[in-house]
Amino acid sequence: MIPTARLGLLRWARRRSPWIIHFNTGGCNGCDIELLAALTPKYDVERFGILLKGSPRHADILAVTGPVTNQTRDRLLRIYEQMPEPKYVIAIGTCAVSGAPFWDCYNVVGGVDKLFPVDVYVPGCPPRPEAIIQGFVKLLEKMEAEEDE
Amino acid sequence: MVSEALSFILQLLIFPGFLFIICLAFFSEWVLRKFVARIQNRMGPTYTGSGGILQPFADFIKLLGKEDIVPAFAERTYFTLTPLLCLTLPLTALFILPMTGHRALISFEGDLIFLAFIFTTLTIMVFLGGFLSGSVFSMVGGVRAATQLLGYEIPFLLALFGPAIPASSLSISKISTWQAQNNAWGLWTQPIGFGVLVICLLAELELLPFDIPEAETEIVAGWNVEFTGRRLALVRLGRDVELVLASTILADLYLGGPQQVWIIPPIIIFLAKMFACLLLIGYLKTLFARFRIDQVLSGMWKYVIPAAMIQFIILKLIW
Repeated sequence: MIPTARLGLLRWARRRSPWIIHFNTGGCNGCDIELLAALTPKYDVERFGILLKGSPRHADILAVTGPVTNQTRDRLLRIYEQMPEPKYVIAIGTCAVSGAPFWDCYNVVGGVDKLFPVDVYVPGCPPRPEAIIQGFVKLLEKMEAEEDE
Repeated sequence: MVSEALSFILQLLIFPGFLFIICLAFFSEWVLRKFVARIQNRMGPTYTGSGGILQPFADFIKLLGKEDIVPAFAERTYFTLTPLLCLTLPLTALFILPMTGHRALISFEGDLIFLAFIFTTLTIMVFLGGFLSGSVFSMVGGVRAATQLLGYEIPFLLALFGPAIPASSLSISKISTWQAQNNAWGLWTQPIGFGVLVICLLAELELLPFDIPEAETEIVAGWNVEFTGRRLALVRLGRDVELVLASTILADLYLGGPQQVWIIPPIIIFLAKMFACLLLIGYLKTLFARFRIDQVLSGMWKYVIPAAMIQFIILKLIW
């Protein structure tokens, strides 16, 4: 991928500055509110260097909430493809994990992993902000282990 | 002769030149983020280095290592040029501002005009970079940056040239020296001008009440929506250097700049003044919500320009 990816400094920097972009694929907004709670003063994930970015071009982590519907499928793929490498995906809430109660709806594709690989699953309906932060920490651990190989 | 040249090169590259300014820029971003977080009852960056002090540096390194994308519709030349100029223009401007003593690194009669020129060029580069990125959002952002320029440019220049009148010089070094020696800080002799300059610098830096060209909740990320990797890293570092530049201008033109007090060296006094200005900017940034573009333009023309002109008239009557 990038020849410098194995440098210690870069690995250190990546682990400490993961910026997320949030995309709702048509969920009920429950998970979105919990994600917002994780970003706002009470839980404040900026402690770990996590910032919410508006543009997919600036982000490292795609945080998806909601079941993927036929309507949002193409948009979600486009957002994913616009992100620069290396990129990671975190599926927040049971809908994004598997499609949950909507798995066999006529207009639902299913979980996010039907479209592209997902790094961390955070189940729950909705997951608590603590669970979301735990998901982020798991992803950071995974990022470190990945580049050690 | 040789040792003089060598010492100048060292000054240019290390202190108070390139390296010092870059470190100061990273440090200022950390101070601002931490300060804003404390006002909002948050912690801010905590675990990167001691108290999160290395956070801006980590962001910079991470962005350098990311994939570099040039959109198909982007104008390649300007897409590359904008981030470079976003960093180099404020850096150049910082060389003509006194930091360590009475004289700046490069100082000549009329460098105040050069400073004004650099600020306008910066906004025009932002406009071009946004307009030629090939995205609708960045185009809107670029046009908004240029529109906003029409509002704040005139009061900005009036407030910038105000301190030159009592000092009767257009050299920034001479102005700050005059203020320090006569104990006539611009802040006390022309307070309205100071307020106008703070407002216009907030608009120039695209900080919160005037972050219309970037407006995350409206146009994704404004004019820098398409920048990735190295380009975004340079844009962000350029923003930090601009922050240092803005607080340095306030400290030099309105607070007397670097001056020796008792045995404290001028650089310490200068840094104290600079960070006081930085915190003032950060406080205002946290306090306000975003204006609309038409509100900015009408507000600037109705209130800020008359205020700057009144300050100028008062100044002419006194001096």
